[in-house]
Amino acid sequence: MTLSESELERYSRQLVLPEWSGEAQERLKSASAIVVGAGALGSPAATYLAAAGVGRLGVVDEDVVELSNLHRQPLHWSPDVGRQKAENAALKLGVLNSEVAIDPYPVRLDEQNVAAIVMGADVVVDCSDSFATRYVVNDACCAQRVPLVEAGVLGFQGLVLSIRPGESACYRCAFPTEPPAGSVPSCREAGVLGATAGVLGSIQALEAIKLLTGVGTPLLDRILQIDAASMEQTIVSTTRRADCPACGRLGAAPQSD
Amino acid sequence: MTAGALDLTGVACPMNWVKIKLALERLAPGDELTVRLDPGEPLESVPRSAREDGHAVAVDGELVTIVKR
Repeated sequence: MTLSESELERYSRQLVLPEWSGEAQERLKSASAIVVGAGALGSPAATYLAAAGVGRLGVVDEDVVELSNLHRQPLHWSPDVGRQKAENAALKLGVLNSEVAIDPYPVRLDEQNVAAIVMGADVVVDCSDSFATRYVVNDACCAQRVPLVEAGVLGFQGLVLSIRPGESACYRCAFPTEPPAGSVPSCREAGVLGATAGVLGSIQALEAIKLLTGVGTPLLDRILQIDAASMEQTIVSTTRRADCPACGRLGAAPQSD
Repeated sequence: MTAGALDLTGVACPMNWVKIKLALERLAPGDELTVRLDPGEPLESVPRSAREDGHAVAVDGELVTIVKR
């Protein structure tokens, strides 16, 4: 896979990075990513993945753009209110970078469709807004050994965890039990500044790029916690659980390419 | 041994360095890449970038020879 002249120019400011290379760029171009949710986290995550030159990008969201989304979901603009989010995101991302193949999935990701959606992906970026969906995504990625970047944001608090199933702690290892419904406020109840979610979604894109290219050190077995109000950042270690129902029975992954 | 040559006159920074970096990736350690660069920023900046990446660099006028590390 070679890079065209226009790709060399488009990606020149990342190609000159000492840690980056033509080979890393080609790995990114040959990779397929799925972003679950085209909202507050998914907007920056999908934008930076498309801009950086991932080869194929699927965007999953069943919702329609609402006026109250716009303060935190910068892929969706005022004239887009009423449009389907996955379709609108695909349109915007395609204009940003026509080198990327964009697949909109205008569906609610659930236990029935998740296996087919993540199948063949090289990374999944979970930008969903519910604990239930995170466990569904985590379990499917573990079953198929697809690397995963999890994140959550609530108010000024956020966290990010990257996962290589069978090698590092999965979301269920780190957070074994789902909070009872109602005990944790949803984003809608808690509120969020768009820029806070933007920080977390950008970190997710960066983690996905690291997992896809081997550049840098992803947050494996390490949970990054950010308090955006004070900008205090903490990294908390986590580890695999032998009795994890999602990944406990996975051995070390076979070496691919 | 000389393994490649690039005429990068008219190619500004950092595109000239992008092309050199990608050409070097395809060479073996010890191979030489000779590039022709414009005076000014290219001739000032590219040899420094190559040295910072650990390659041996010799400058002769507008010709820069880079030995891959």
